[in-house]
Amino acid sequence: MNWWPVIGMSKMLTEDKKYESKARVRVKKMKEFKRSLNIYTIDVGNCNILNFEMQALKSPKYNIHRFGIYSAASPRHADLLIVLGKPTDEMIEPLRCTVNQLPEPFGLLLIKGCGDDGIDPNELKLPNVVASMDGCPSPSEILAVLLKISGRSD
Amino acid sequence: MSILLAHFKSNGKEEFITQEKGGIRKESENKGFKNLELIENRNEFIVDVFNGGKIEGDGVFDFRYGPVSGIGEAGVFHLYTYGERILSVKIDTFYKRRKLDEKMIGMDVNDALKIAERVSGNFSVSHSLAFSRAIEKAMKVEVDDKTKRVRAIALELERIYNHIHVISKLASDAAQLVLASHLSELFEDSLCVNEIFSGSRYLRDFVTLGGVTKVPSDKALNSVLKEIEKNKKSFTKLYKNSMTSRNYIDRLHSTAILSARDAAMIGLTGPSLRACNVKEDLRIKDDIYKDLKIVTDEEGDALSRMEVRAKEILESMEFVENNVKKINSKETDRMTLQGKGDGLGWCESPSGAIIYSIGVEDSKIKVLHVSTPSVFGMAAMAHSIVGNIFTDFPFALDSFGVNFADAAR
Repeated sequence: MNWWPVIGMSKMLTEDKKYESKARVRVKKMKEFKRSLNIYTIDVGNCNILNFEMQALKSPKYNIHRFGIYSAASPRHADLLIVLGKPTDEMIEPLRCTVNQLPEPFGLLLIKGCGDDGIDPNELKLPNVVASMDGCPSPSEILAVLLKISGRSD
Repeated sequence: MSILLAHFKSNGKEEFITQEKGGIRKESENKGFKNLELIENRNEFIVDVFNGGKIEGDGVFDFRYGPVSGIGEAGVFHLYTYGERILSVKIDTFYKRRKLDEKMIGMDVNDALKIAERVSGNFSVSHSLAFSRAIEKAMKVEVDDKTKRVRAIALELERIYNHIHVISKLASDAAQLVLASHLSELFEDSLCVNEIFSGSRYLRDFVTLGGVTKVPSDKALNSVLKEIEKNKKSFTKLYKNSMTSRNYIDRLHSTAILSARDAAMIGLTGPSLRACNVKEDLRIKDDIYKDLKIVTDEEGDALSRMEVRAKEILESMEFVENNVKKINSKETDRMTLQGKGDGLGWCESPSGAIIYSIGVEDSKIKVLHVSTPSVFGMAAMAHSIVGNIFTDFPFALDSFGVNFADAAR
């Protein structure tokens, strides 16, 4: 029998990767999020790559639970709303409604995706935007930003 | 039996584009196709072609899934029910309508290709390949064999990761958490193979008009071969083990059954149609695919669709292994495309046929019609789920491998 948890931990199998991203994160000094995040994702009109990247991020390869990152089943249980894509006209209202459902304190992470269809989410003047990313970032870049937001890395 | 996939008017004449025996044909008369209304209304909503979507009666109400919660994509499912049993389904696609096909008209062909790629990110190769084939046909250009082979490998790599994603979703729906975790890791691994092969995790910017952007280096091809071999071994083992789990099989078996006749009337193509025991694949007429075994299954339920996809993954991995050995990293000649004309291009995407009908003038797009497989996949889902209960819904939806980005364009 293989003791995978022990072997994995002793060899630091999952820790040899550095997660890096150039996106700037604006979280106040007092740190709203204390080392743990419950995330909720909303698709507002991306080309489906970002949905797939979020799925890939949840795969055991990244093992986000060890960083205290969990996906919430409802916006009312979430600390961070991840907005995927540039909103289409029809999705602006559902997006605003979702933001209103978030409990305080909350943050918004905008991942804009590729292409210029739809509206730039920064123009919607949504509250508490903590970071915004251009293009279609890879899961490790998204994870880097999540770690910055949760205060686990600078 | 011919399957209607697109219908439009050009120069005052009606045109029907159908698929039959592995080929795409243009027809000028209506042969009593059932899914004409479905194709007309696809920008707004998708309904079951047999009952028209809405149903009324004592206690019947509309249960809404989406656009925010439940399905993970911007779209709405209206489930008409009196509780538990689903009587009818209507699907709203307009939430995700980005009007990409309208946007492409009037654009330069190379810019339009970039937009075609973005219609559905997980079918990037299929969309760009169908688009390029249409343009190449319009400008009467034939690409060389090596380009065809490299493109076919990219298409199969796309099929592999999409199919793994579908099966991993089905496994997690059936609460097979160990299997789902293994498969999602395999999914991430196959995205890494794509990155080695083309430089992009989703094989973006790979297919261009008249060629491919860059033929992978020998080193990249070798490591693709090694990775695919490893993935094949682990997928074979996972699939074999998963088929011994009674819980898993019972959950999928006889869920959302679809008959071959209904599927063809709806316009379903791809692995979901092959799961209804119809040997219909756009790849069979291609010389490159002459060793490919077309996988079919008999029952037309969620289990059959899963099995067809699983066997196709193995077939595609074998295809990639055989064909990577046949290419070298020498660059191919890139064609310059000029002129005008009309062309019809198609491709067997992971979920079915994608068709582009394009008219070009002065390297600008004059007319464009696109048919995407998710429209018919969703209509087939709406038909097959009738009579099933709420908890069957995720299995019905995920087993067709459809998405709103592709359906709404």
